[in-house]
Amino acid sequence: MKKMTSALALIAATAAAPVLAEDITITVWAGGSNDSDHYRIDNIRIAADMLSREAAIRGEELNITVEGKRDFDGWDGFKQAVTLGAEAGNAPNIVVTSHLDIAPWASAGYIVPVEDYVDLDAWPLNNVYGNLMEIAAFDGMQWGVPQDAESRPFFYWKETFAALGYSEADMDAMSARVEAGEYTLRDMLADARKAVDMGLVEKGYGFYPRVSNGPDYAQFYQSFGGELTDPETGKLLFDRTAMTEMYQFFVDAVDAGVTRRNHIGTEWDQWYSEVANGKAAFWHGGTWHYGRYTGKEGNEDFFGTVGFTLIPAGNDAGRANTVTHPLVYLLTDQEDDRAEEIAAQLVAIASEPRLNTLHAIKSSHLAIGKAEAGLDLYSGDRWAAEATEVLLPHANAQPNHPNYGAFSEAMFKGLEAAWTGVQTPEEAVAEVEAQLTATLGDELIVR
Amino acid sequence: MTRQTLLGLGFLSPALLAVMMFFLLPVVLTVVFAFTNMSTSTGILGGEYQISESDLRRLPAVGVGEDAVALLAGAGYAVQPETLAQFAAEFGEDRAAELDKLHGGAKFDDQRAMERALKELRRNPLRKVRDRKTAADLFRVSILGQRFATRDDFALAITDLGVPERDRLALTEAAYTGWTFTTQNFELLWELPATWRYALNSVIYVVLTLAFNVGFGLFLALSTFYLPSRTAQTFRAIWFLPRILPPVLYVLMWQWLTWDQGFISAMLRPFGFEPINWMRHTATHAWTFIVLINGCVGASLGMILFSSSLRAIPETQLFAAQVDGANRWQQVRHVLLPQMRWPILFITSYQTLSLLTSFEYILLATDGGPGRQTEVWALAAYHTALSNYGGNLEYGLGAAYALALVIIGILLSALYLRFFKFSELVAKPRIEQ
Repeated sequence: MKKMTSALALIAATAAAPVLAEDITITVWAGGSNDSDHYRIDNIRIAADMLSREAAIRGEELNITVEGKRDFDGWDGFKQAVTLGAEAGNAPNIVVTSHLDIAPWASAGYIVPVEDYVDLDAWPLNNVYGNLMEIAAFDGMQWGVPQDAESRPFFYWKETFAALGYSEADMDAMSARVEAGEYTLRDMLADARKAVDMGLVEKGYGFYPRVSNGPDYAQFYQSFGGELTDPETGKLLFDRTAMTEMYQFFVDAVDAGVTRRNHIGTEWDQWYSEVANGKAAFWHGGTWHYGRYTGKEGNEDFFGTVGFTLIPAGNDAGRANTVTHPLVYLLTDQEDDRAEEIAAQLVAIASEPRLNTLHAIKSSHLAIGKAEAGLDLYSGDRWAAEATEVLLPHANAQPNHPNYGAFSEAMFKGLEAAWTGVQTPEEAVAEVEAQLTATLGDELIVR
Repeated sequence: MTRQTLLGLGFLSPALLAVMMFFLLPVVLTVVFAFTNMSTSTGILGGEYQISESDLRRLPAVGVGEDAVALLAGAGYAVQPETLAQFAAEFGEDRAAELDKLHGGAKFDDQRAMERALKELRRNPLRKVRDRKTAADLFRVSILGQRFATRDDFALAITDLGVPERDRLALTEAAYTGWTFTTQNFELLWELPATWRYALNSVIYVVLTLAFNVGFGLFLALSTFYLPSRTAQTFRAIWFLPRILPPVLYVLMWQWLTWDQGFISAMLRPFGFEPINWMRHTATHAWTFIVLINGCVGASLGMILFSSSLRAIPETQLFAAQVDGANRWQQVRHVLLPQMRWPILFITSYQTLSLLTSFEYILLATDGGPGRQTEVWALAAYHTALSNYGGNLEYGLGAAYALALVIIGILLSALYLRFFKFSELVAKPRIEQ
């Protein structure tokens, strides 16, 4: 009876009291985002609308204002803004950033695990690919939700390739041959050299790699048999042989005249315009390059001019591979727990296949979940469909290790030293090894 | 203290405050940071206490006993009488009884598995995600991954867990997520071969740029000195442009001038020169342009200072020299230059110090390339502390780089002051003694 009365009282109270409106402002900062990436923020806005409607049906009034910002001064400026904001206690509620930030930011206490607020086994998060979810996890906790997926293919210019004597059928078989390890980086180098010698491309344009450090170079390390972490202990792994062979490969490319000695540091704008218009025979990039080539750079026949494969294997020890470097939605630690909860729910809703597909197709990224392939917008896009099929099953990610940043920087510095001829590959590898052993200590295994 | 002194101090106080905040404090902070292992991972304002999965394998190395590690490593969630009692208190006896029947005595590795178990409640299900999260938390028995705000909270938690007394101190220290004081940054700087290369690069950069700065500034000042004043002013205004242009724009113009399809390559192409990136082709190219880029900025400042001090030299001395038959060169060499000692001292020391710490033009032009051959000390400090693609910025190590610059700067200033006999410059004029 007593229970009954209190229940009645509760109902009466709820009915009589005016519905209390809850106003909440959610800020979203998206790093490394250009104009075509606006759905990183807009999807949170759409999610906010959904959540408010759901609340209204329950009889609650929830007003969410979403404030977005994506004009940062590069990655450095963005990361500084987030970390300093977090120190000062006014970090944005949601950040879209590289999954590599999870380890340092989690350990600094800047972010909170998304698994504390949402059901990972429920829709739509149970639709997200398991390996992508894994990339947004660290130390046994699910910190974030993948915002997009991508992968980094190897490209070749079909016209040049045909002039080297490859037929249409050869090109169709290329991705399978690369995957099987029948066409290696060494074969590519020989072809690139031929292309330069035959005058199909200018000197230095046979193989035209990325102009700055990035996940791409981890791929070449893997091509030569390197692994980034030791699966047993989770420590970072420095494979001396693989590293030396990878450095040697770039040195050989320079010596053969297919890659410029001063290539690193080339302007990105120049680089994009050159590769999109057939000035280079072979190069590598990311799935989002499709948007740039066909958009700003004006390549109107992408599939007729550009072929793509995995990054070929370098030798027998290595494998054809590609790295996916998904951006993730992360929640920052806030005074107000309710804000974290709302932010988490918004992130979950923004991961709905339909919403994520808007971003994927608009920005030439790949789907984060299985169901997206069933949507017309996704399956109707040839690039998304083909890239998903050829690349995504073979994609691995860089490790979420607090010291991976130092590892990656050192690896690239060494590569640059060998590439520009300042040091021999052996010297460069020895120096990188010395530096990493000194800085990482027990967290590194040298093999 | 007299009223006048107080009044004086009162007037000075805003300036003193500014000096403290913008000059002294950064140096003090640099010194403090240099002796810490501060990075993005440790945060800036201090840490909390947490043992995470990946910490477990590090623990034996820092002196935590095996049995303590085993205690920590146990499964995260357990359905046992104590946890069930808590659950019953919050969510009702029926649910607790049903869960006990379903999973009594079970252990779960993570929160997700615990929630799955809770979802199996049928009679009176926990329908809301939030309730399941709260309920799952009640079954948590491990402290793995939990953050404790204070040392005491953590100490309490490990005591509850039954960690032996002898392991507690080492464990607490290992669990601290914030920064600690250390001298390892300096050991690291000493050990790393790259450090010495950056030091050498800095020497090359400062010496060459300084020579260009002072030499060219002096040349401009002297050459405009003999021009009619209106023409001279026009020339000086033009030479002053590099200093007032925003660095990004100024360097962008150099980029356009030097890249493969830039002005220099285009001009030289008809003469049979291969187009190359003139700024980044080799280290020599890079240094040449870095010296030119910085030198033109520095020279304009030198020019202004030298020009004004040239004008302070009484014209009568030049007339006298002319009467004695001295030509322009002899005037410069024997009349003007000897009186330019102080301005040259000032520009030299000022520029040395500012060049040592300046890196923005190098960052914009070559970013230390090709192959880190133009990576100067200050740029290395920036790259270490503020720029890392992988996200972990090493503030402590960066500060150690910066501290070395502060020390070198102070030593050099003292040296310059002695060498150029600064005390004579500031001595009281004899006539007033």
